[in-house]
Amino acid sequence: MDDEVESIEMKPASMRKTFTLRNKVARQAAVNFMPSRKMAYSTLRLRRVSSEHNALLEASMSDAPDAVEKQADIIVREMEQHHHLMEDNPLSEELRREALRDLPQGLTMKRNIRAKLSASVSLRSKRRPISMFKRMKYRISFTWKKSRDHFRDFIFSIELWYEAIRNIEGHLGSAVGSYFHLLRWLFGLNLMLSIFLISFIVVPQSLFDNGRNRTELKFVDFISGMGGLEDTLLFYGHYHDGIISTGPFQYNMPFAYFFTMVSLYLLFFAVLCYRTADSYRRNFIEPAGGGGGGSAVRAALATKLFCGWDFGVASPRAAALAARALYHEFRELLNEQNKKKEVSSIWTKIRQRLTNIVITAIVLGFIFGILYGLWLLLSVEDLTDNREIYISLIITAVTAVCPIMLHFIVKLEFYTARTALYVTLARTWLLDIGILMLLLVFWVQSDKSCWETSVGQEGYRLVALDVPVSLFLLPGIELIRGLLFHYKFIETPPEFNIAYNSLTLIYNQSVLWFGMMFSPLLVVAITLKFLLLFYVKRETALRACQTGKKVWRAAQTQTVLYALVALSLFSTLFALGSLFLRSSPACGAFGGYGRVYELLTEGALRLSQHSAVFAVLHFVTRPGPIAFVLVALCVAVYIARARAGAQRSMARLLRHMLRLQAKDKDFLLSAIEKVSNGEWLYSPKSEEYGADSHTWKYVNEVRKPSNAGYHFDGSRLSHSFLERPRSYVKENRPSSYVERQKSNEDGDTDSSFSWQGSSSYLNQNDVEKS
Amino acid sequence: MGQGKSQFTEEELQDYEDLTYFTKKEVLYAHQKFKALAPEKVGHNKNAKLPMAKILQYPELRVNPFRDRICKVFSSSNDGDCTFEDFLDMMSVFSDNAPKAVKAEHAFRIFDFDGDDMIGVSDLREVIERLCGPEMKLSDSEIQQLVQNVLEEADLDDDGALSFAEFEHIIDKSSDFCHSFRIRL
Repeated sequence: MDDEVESIEMKPASMRKTFTLRNKVARQAAVNFMPSRKMAYSTLRLRRVSSEHNALLEASMSDAPDAVEKQADIIVREMEQHHHLMEDNPLSEELRREALRDLPQGLTMKRNIRAKLSASVSLRSKRRPISMFKRMKYRISFTWKKSRDHFRDFIFSIELWYEAIRNIEGHLGSAVGSYFHLLRWLFGLNLMLSIFLISFIVVPQSLFDNGRNRTELKFVDFISGMGGLEDTLLFYGHYHDGIISTGPFQYNMPFAYFFTMVSLYLLFFAVLCYRTADSYRRNFIEPAGGGGGGSAVRAALATKLFCGWDFGVASPRAAALAARALYHEFRELLNEQNKKKEVSSIWTKIRQRLTNIVITAIVLGFIFGILYGLWLLLSVEDLTDNREIYISLIITAVTAVCPIMLHFIVKLEFYTARTALYVTLARTWLLDIGILMLLLVFWVQSDKSCWETSVGQEGYRLVALDVPVSLFLLPGIELIRGLLFHYKFIETPPEFNIAYNSLTLIYNQSVLWFGMMFSPLLVVAITLKFLLLFYVKRETALRACQTGKKVWRAAQTQTVLYALVALSLFSTLFALGSLFLRSSPACGAFGGYGRVYELLTEGALRLSQHSAVFAVLHFVTRPGPIAFVLVALCVAVYIARARAGAQRSMARLLRHMLRLQAKDKDFLLSAIEKVSNGEWLYSPKSEEYGADSHTWKYVNEVRKPSNAGYHFDGSRLSHSFLERPRSYVKENRPSSYVERQKSNEDGDTDSSFSWQGSSSYLNQNDVEKS
Repeated sequence: MGQGKSQFTEEELQDYEDLTYFTKKEVLYAHQKFKALAPEKVGHNKNAKLPMAKILQYPELRVNPFRDRICKVFSSSNDGDCTFEDFLDMMSVFSDNAPKAVKAEHAFRIFDFDGDDMIGVSDLREVIERLCGPEMKLSDSEIQQLVQNVLEEADLDDDGALSFAEFEHIIDKSSDFCHSFRIRL
């Protein structure tokens, strides 16, 4: 809201071109003395106010030797107005530090100001003994700050692939960089997962295994994960279902397995949710806010102008490409504008909508067709020897090819470019997650004795078979295309397809979420894969690829990608919760329990021994209470929505009031100006204003002849105003007051109010915009 | 980094950490980068003033269409020559940690070529010409039309120029500004 206030209050300062700079500065100074300006809202305002003073200063004495000193003095005086900044305690010191850091000044100036400020603070401070509690508070906040700084320092020194990503951003722009950021983030996430899983699950089990002889392995086993690999650390079925005791230590394997998995799933779900929500707030809500009420400014071109250049670009070739891309975008925008706007009839609209619906239906049918086919394929037994491998191969092929197909299909539909991208992403994700769900469901309902291991093996095969595709095949194709381009066989170099590449990452991560429960070492495999993928992708990106021809808007897409990762984890949690928890395990770590959830109820809490707790829990988990909770949640959501709606309309109202107030202020300012120039009440002729202006209303309604005691030719006045063509008003706006006077010397000499000009501009403006 | 360390005392580093968005290690790293632009001169005097031509050898600045403006905005002597502190200032504003408002403030000054605290028609023309690069040229009328469009979109008070508030309004609406207005150290 503060910013809104500012943006409106700033308007009067620049209302007329006719103002000379001096006038403007003087007026701004007046505005700065308004009470609202004197309040300490934020450092932002503080900064701006002081920089306006700089403008004032620079106008008067630009090259004075002690200008720096004086400027510093002014800023210090501004800051001294803000009492919370000037107290002698660590909190306000920290605030001071932040305010200082946010000043748009050079370091020398900041240092100067800081010296003056601290002198002033120590002058003001009354040395009072502070209480124990306060001292504790300060000490804690100080330590917290220190450790945060140290942490940031540490993070910087271990930041992985810093130079590499910087290099990529320099060559291909920060959009491609964002893919590598996602890759690095997922790699870090999986690395942490691996560390936890290895230390809590794999290491104890391998200690327990120590001494058992191993079965021999065939090559096919490495691809299928069956045969010799089946009963190894890789899969759930292998894990011990009792207490491992080595010497004095006892380690309850089922508990370790269960609680490590559950806490990791929940922890990373929380992290992902937080990250997605944060990114959503920054990239969707904040840009949309502020202008929601009627005056939503869609400054597409201006955004392109001021945010179009990627300052991170460092190579001349990339810079030339970026310049060309911007050039084409500008041309495109102009062309679009110059083309006669086709009036799309309702029929074309209906046709487009229908096409979209039909194609979406076809695509959904296609996806479910694939899933059904897969189900049939899985159900067929004894096709060949290695049918599992073939099925996994088919799945890998489908997940590699379908995104490309969907990418082409979406071109048949009528979406904007960005929506088309999101639609493709959503469909691909649906296909991927559908396949994984299907595998899980198939194995759960199969009557195999140790189906958990089978699901783990499916995950293992998918990861193993995806390795050649994403590490060798796709980069190979890119490299070959790059070479062909290099030797001028083809016209266009391969583009780095951010969407497709990110989808591969998300697919891998989804497989990980699904397989982790049943195959702990899968996490390690995917971590290694991402590590290799980073280097492979870096090489192909730098050697073969170029930036896209379109300027890619990265920020919002990034949010969508995070959301997809979070969603796939959510669906995994859902599937595992509903299918796995109620199943009766026959093997593996939970083999000793009738149902998986009994591990919690019987094993950890020993509910059967506490009959009261058991009864309570039993009651709570019955459908009735759960339905009640659901209804309560729905009511809560409804209330939250209603409140949000009310607040939105309140915000709209307030914004409207602000705008009116700004107009009033402007009106008064110009009135005061006229008074001080001695033009009150008498001027040869008012300038243009329309029937919607306040002054017009004032003249015609409030001061109607019947109201006032003298004759006033309102009709003639309004006539002359309304008849004036709009174009004349807009183009021939006189550039100075004298000129305005001249242009109006058309014999019309009756007296009228002249203190309306400014607001009439504003009004006109609003009418044209709305 | 041992070499860099010897050139700064702990107090100086703390000072820089307080006044910029960098940590101590990052300050040292920035100094390395600065030193790489003119090893002898900076080795001699850690806060040496380098001429604009030298500063513009920094890869990101070399290809930036607004390179001379950036140097001028951050130069303490206003002529484009930068000391290490100016350079540090520049990098701090372009870093990830700088808030949007600070970035917007400096972006405004960079785009304000004639320095009248407003982005006027001539400034907009200059921005468009520079963005399109030296090879591709839009015709005069096309640029005129683009400028007109920008003003129609963003010039809320119809005075034919963008004030800081209007500029910030555009920036606030764009989720990409922080992504694009960034030079990693």
